[in-house]
Amino acid sequence: MKYVILLFFVFIIYSLGSALFYMMKDGDGSKRMVKALTMRVGFSIGLFLLLLFAFWMGWIKPTGVA
Amino acid sequence: MQASKEEYFIPDGSYWPIVGSIGMASMLGGFASSLHDNSLGTGIMVLGFGLIIFMVFGWMGQVVHESEQGIYNKQVDRSFRMGMGWFIFSEVMFFAAFFGALWYARNLSVPWLGGSSNNAFTNTVLWPEFKSVWPLLQMPDAANFTVPKAIIHAWEIPAINTLCLLLSGATLTWAHWALLNNNRKQIIVGLIATIALGVIFLSLQVAEYAEAYQHLDLKLSSGIYGSTFFMLTGFHGLHVTLGTIMLIVILMRVLRGHFNPDNHFGFEGVAWYWHFVDVVWLGLFIFVYWL
Repeated sequence: MKYVILLFFVFIIYSLGSALFYMMKDGDGSKRMVKALTMRVGFSIGLFLLLLFAFWMGWIKPTGVA
Repeated sequence: MQASKEEYFIPDGSYWPIVGSIGMASMLGGFASSLHDNSLGTGIMVLGFGLIIFMVFGWMGQVVHESEQGIYNKQVDRSFRMGMGWFIFSEVMFFAAFFGALWYARNLSVPWLGGSSNNAFTNTVLWPEFKSVWPLLQMPDAANFTVPKAIIHAWEIPAINTLCLLLSGATLTWAHWALLNNNRKQIIVGLIATIALGVIFLSLQVAEYAEAYQHLDLKLSSGIYGSTFFMLTGFHGLHVTLGTIMLIVILMRVLRGHFNPDNHFGFEGVAWYWHFVDVVWLGLFIFVYWL
């Protein structure tokens, strides 16, 4: 489960990083940056829901509770 | 020969760099003096800090004014993007250092004190009673630290705060799409919602710190767990504060009719910064409260 969470986090960093790349490279008219940021938000909400579900299923426990 | 706007842009002379230099020198000089118990030190430091704030608003205000006059060319636009890139690089390095410190303490130094790897003698000779458990609530040398009674549970304020920041990322993205589609009303509503969520986050963070200090004895002096916890969440909170101020400035500019679908780098820069701060929090939520 830990690796699935980390994988999600890597996707989030990747979409945030590509948004930065598009911001640096494209002009203001481009929509590539906002699309990458929308993906970033989507992955982040997905990760939060995954944490909720994994906790509910008993797959993970918060630090200090184990 | 008539100079075209695409040629090298040379700004007018400006006194802001001098104001900033005096501000920085006063702040650092005042801080150093206060460490030497100089009675004027703190006053000079506060004055220097005030000068820096004055310089930031004055200088940025001048840039906004020049931008709205339409005197900037594509070269200036590229220089803003490069500046933002380097600023972000420094921010990433800043947080990487603190996350690195957390990783080092959790995975290397604390287990070594507990005798892991080839450090059995470290444990036997120095702290034979010490068992390496994270979060570090039982310190090897407890007499010299504030021992916390407990730590903050992930499903209390931290989860609500995560939800606040995730929602703020969504409302900001909604405003960003609105800007590209030139829907002014939606930009304003999206920005106000984002700012409100940022303020709620900060208020809850203050409540969490009060709980930690007053009831849990979890303090900056609570050993390596307390230090890394407060340094990471504290500096993150400072970034949320700065991000909220920047969003308020952007909202003010939108209300004055600034930005359009083809010219809005100020909005983009602040939006990306907010998303970055949001992702740093997610990293904190995962690595500090969960894994």
